[in-house]
Amino acid sequence: MEPVLLRARGAADSRAITTYLKAGGYEGWKKALAMGPDAVTKEVSDSELRGRGGAGFPTGRKWSFVPKDHPGPRYLVCNADESEPGTFKDREIIEYDPHQVIEGIAIASFAIKANTAYIYIRGEFVRWARILEETITEARQHGFLGKNVLGSGFDLDVWVHRGAGAYICGEETALLESIEGKRGFPRLKPPFPAVVGLFGKPTVINNVETLACVPHIITRGAAWFAGIGRAKNTGPKLFGVSGHVNRPGVYELPLGVTFREIIEEHAGGVRGGRKLKAFFPGGSSAPVLTAAEVDVKADFDACAEAKTMLGSGGIIVFDDSVDMVEVADNVAHFYAHESCGQCTPCREGSDWCMDILDRLMAGHGLPADPDTLLRICRFASGGMTICPLGDAFALPITSLVTKFRDEFERHIAAATPLPPRKLPVLPWAGPKAGFGI
Amino acid sequence: MPKLTIDGHEVEVAAGTNLIEAARAAGVAIPYFCYHPYLAVVGQCRICMVEVAGQPRLALGCATPAADGMVVKVEDSERAREAREAVMEFLLANHPLDCPVCDQAGECLLQDHSMSEQGSKFTTHMAETRRTFPGYERRLIGPHVVQNQNRCIHCSRCIRFTREISETAALTYKSRGNSTFIDTFDGSSFDDPMSGCATDVCPVGALTLRETRFRKRAWKLRSTPSVCPGCSIGCNIFIDHHERVVYRFTPRENPAINATWLCDHGRFLAESLNEQAYLTPQHQGPGHPVPAAWGEALAAVGALLRGAASLRVVASANMSNEELFLARELFGRQLKGEIAVPVAAGEPRRMKNGRGEWLLAKDAHPNAAGARRLGLDTVDGEGLSRFLYGGAGLTLILDPEAHPFLASPEALRLLRVGTTVVWARRSHPVADGATWLLPTPSIASNEGTFTSSTGAVQRFAEAFAAPGTVHRTATGGMSPDCPTIASPWGAPGEARPLWLVLSALARELGTKTLDLASPAEVFTLMARSEKGFAGLVWEALGGLAPQQSFRERQHVG
Repeated sequence: MEPVLLRARGAADSRAITTYLKAGGYEGWKKALAMGPDAVTKEVSDSELRGRGGAGFPTGRKWSFVPKDHPGPRYLVCNADESEPGTFKDREIIEYDPHQVIEGIAIASFAIKANTAYIYIRGEFVRWARILEETITEARQHGFLGKNVLGSGFDLDVWVHRGAGAYICGEETALLESIEGKRGFPRLKPPFPAVVGLFGKPTVINNVETLACVPHIITRGAAWFAGIGRAKNTGPKLFGVSGHVNRPGVYELPLGVTFREIIEEHAGGVRGGRKLKAFFPGGSSAPVLTAAEVDVKADFDACAEAKTMLGSGGIIVFDDSVDMVEVADNVAHFYAHESCGQCTPCREGSDWCMDILDRLMAGHGLPADPDTLLRICRFASGGMTICPLGDAFALPITSLVTKFRDEFERHIAAATPLPPRKLPVLPWAGPKAGFGI
Repeated sequence: MPKLTIDGHEVEVAAGTNLIEAARAAGVAIPYFCYHPYLAVVGQCRICMVEVAGQPRLALGCATPAADGMVVKVEDSERAREAREAVMEFLLANHPLDCPVCDQAGECLLQDHSMSEQGSKFTTHMAETRRTFPGYERRLIGPHVVQNQNRCIHCSRCIRFTREISETAALTYKSRGNSTFIDTFDGSSFDDPMSGCATDVCPVGALTLRETRFRKRAWKLRSTPSVCPGCSIGCNIFIDHHERVVYRFTPRENPAINATWLCDHGRFLAESLNEQAYLTPQHQGPGHPVPAAWGEALAAVGALLRGAASLRVVASANMSNEELFLARELFGRQLKGEIAVPVAAGEPRRMKNGRGEWLLAKDAHPNAAGARRLGLDTVDGEGLSRFLYGGAGLTLILDPEAHPFLASPEALRLLRVGTTVVWARRSHPVADGATWLLPTPSIASNEGTFTSSTGAVQRFAEAFAAPGTVHRTATGGMSPDCPTIASPWGAPGEARPLWLVLSALARELGTKTLDLASPAEVFTLMARSEKGFAGLVWEALGGLAPQQSFRERQHVG
C-alpha cells in the first residue's frame, strides 16, 4: 500500500507547510468549505472511517450526534494524549506531517460548526506540543485558520492544551475536565460529550490519527478510502510494533492485514531467532493473544471476534523468554498508578491486583491467587466502573491468567511462605515505656 | 408520571426520580454510600447496582431515572446481588474494620449495609497488607472536624458538600488511585461555617466531630425532633440525648428550610442545653437567696401580681408561641401590664434549603417572627433601655437572655427600683438580684412551637422531663465553654417550663380560660383566637406527625 498518513516520513523539511502544500495539502479544506458541513459529514460517514483512538466508533456517526439546533458554541477536541503503553503512532504523525492533523481539525470543526478547537496533548510531549504550535502559526499565516477562513465566512481558532501527566486524561470526559482546569476525573455518562461536553457545550473528541485521515477522505473521496481494508474496517492504520522484534517502529498498513504479516514481514520477526510467545494487539489494555492466534486479522471486528481489541494498534511482542506473570505485574503496576481513584472497583481492584502479583513475583504466591485475580478483574470490568480504565487493567490480566495459568501455577508451586510481618515498634511500647509518665 | 415495577412492587413516581428514590417509595432498599438526595450524583461507590430488564449491563440506582414500564430487580437479581457483594468486598478490602473503636459505629452506612446484607457470612479474599495513611489517622483538619483517612471510602460526599452547599470548596481529593485522600486546599484549616455537616454526610467514621466523638455510643442516643434555637431561620433538628443529658444536635430533613444541613453555630448550642444553674424557686432573703417550694413561690408571685401598682413584662423571642400568647393574655390583657419583646440582631447567619436558596437570619432568636405575629411590641436594645427607664412597681423578666442589654450595668441599675420576678435557667446577674427567681429548663425539657422567619410554624417536642442536678466538673464539662453538666444520676430538678408556670399563675389569679394543661391546648386556643395562627392544627405541625415524616435519618449520614 502506498503510504498515506506517513507519506512525508523521511523527506527533508517534511513538517513545513510548503512541503505539505506541494503534496496537495489543504485542498481538502478548500473542498470541504465548498461542500458544506452536512456533505462533509456524509462523506466521512460513507468512508466508514472508525475512530483510531481505541474504541473504533464510526467517526461520521459521532459527528452527527451533535445537536443540529444547539445555540451557542460547540467544540472540537483533538485527543493527542497518547499514553497507552506500546502506542506511539500519533507522535509519528505530528513529528513528520502535522499539517494533516490541523487540516483534519479544520474540516471536522467545520462539519460540526465549531469555531474553537483544542488539541489536548500529553504533557510529556513537549517537543510535539511545540511542533503543533508552530504548525498552527504557519496555517494561520496562510489563512487556513483564524477569522473568515479563505473568504468563507467561517472562523476557526485552534489551541494547544498540554496535559499534566495523567494517563486517565486520555479518556475523553476526563480530558474535558482537564481542559476546564479541573481534576482529571472521568464523567458519569450519559449525558455524552456530543450533547454536554466541554464547558457544558456539545463537543466532539477525535484522535489525532482519525483527524489525519479526514483530509484524505475529502480530497480523494469516500470510495477511495472505503476501498482500503475490508468492509466496515476501512482505511490505512498505523501499527506501532514494540517489544522483541527485529525492527520495532510504526508501520502504515491497511486494516485487515494479519498480525503475522505485521510482526514477521514488516517488523522483521522475533529478534534473536527466538519464538513468538504472545503479543498485545492494541496497547497493554487489550487482552493478550498467543502465538497460536497470530493469524487473526488486525482490524476492529476480527479482534472483537478473537475476544480482544485493536485498540490503538500498539502491538507489544513477547518472545518465549518472557515470564507472563511478570507481564501481568507490569500491567497491574501501570494501571494501579494511573487509576484516578474515583470509583471503587478500579481504585481498590487495580491496587489489589498489583499487590497479589507483586507477592507472586516475590515468590510468595498462594494457591488461591489466580482465582482471586479473576474475581477482582471480573467485578472491575464490564460496566462496573465509570470509565473504561477498569476494563483496561481487568481484561489483559484476565487473559493472562486464563491463557497462561500454568505459569502462574509454576510460580505458586515454587513459592515460599510469606515471612512474618515485622510490626512497627511504637514509641510508647518500648522497654522503657511505662504508665503514668 | 412514570410507572415502574421494582422487585415486583409497582410504583408511580414523579418524572426525573432516580431508581433509589423510586425503590424507597416502593418499599425496596437499594444500598448507597455516595448518593445523597441534596448533592450531585457522581456514581462513584458503585454499590447501587441494579438490573433493569432489557439492559445488558447493570444500571446505577443513583444515576438512572425511572422510566415508564421499567422493570427493575434489586434483591431478585442474582447478577446485581453478586456485583454489590463484590463492591462491598472492594470497599472492605482496605477498610480498617475498627468498628469497636470507631465513633461512627451504630450509624455507619458501611457497617449497616455489611450487617444487613452479609451478616455473619462476610468473607474476603484479601490476603495483602491493608492500605493505610500514616499520619492521617486522627488529624484535626479544622476547628471541629477530626479526620481518619484510613476509614475513608472515597465517596466524595464531603467534597461535594463544601462545593455545592457551603460554597467554600474547602475540601478536595489529593493524590491519585488507591492513595487518594481527602484534604483541605493548601492544607489550611477546614474553616467552614457548616463544617459539622461534612461529618454528617460522611457515611463512615472518616470525619467525626471533635465535640461529640466518644461522648456516647450512637445506639444509646434517643432522638427527639426539635427546632434549632440558634437564630430565626428555624432549622429542623433532632436533639440526641441519653439519660437526661443532651449530647448533640443533628439536622432533621426539611426541604423548605434546612434540607439536611445545620450550621456550626446552631449545632454546638447542644451542650449549652445541659447548663442548669437554678434548680428550685428562690426568693431574696436577708443578704442571700432562700430556696422555696413551687406552691409557696406561686402564691407569693400571685400576691405580687395582684398588689402591683404598675406592671411591666420583659418577654423574649426565645419563648415559644404558646408562652408568648399566655404572657400576652395574662399580663397584657388581664392585668393591663406593659409587654416588650426585645430582639437582638445578632451575627448574620444563613442556611441553604433544599432548592439551593440561601435563607438569611433576620434575628438572633428562634421566635421573633412569632412575637410579631402575636402583635407584641418588639424592641431593640435602645428600645429596651427606654422601656426599663419608665419604671414600674413590679417587673417580670421572663427570660434574662432575651437581650444582651439585660446583662449590662445600666440595666441592673434600672432594675434596682421596685420588685422583680425573674425566670431563668443559666446564671445571670439579673436573676441573682431578683426578689423571686423561678427556674426554667432548656428547650429540651419544653414543648411548643416557634415561628420561623420563613413563616413556618414548627413544633419542638420534649426530649426529657426537667434536667437533673448539676455538677461542676473539674475539666469544664463537655467543652471549656460549658462550665456545668447535668448529671444523669441526680434526682430531676424542679425547673418547670414557662408555659406551665404561666398557666399555674392564671389559676392562682382565677383566670379559668388560661388554666390549660398542655401546650397543645394553648395552641388550640391560640389558633381559634389569633388571625396569624388560624387554621393551624397542632398535630400536623413541623413534620412530627407520622404522615409527614420525611425520609429516614440515614440520609444525614
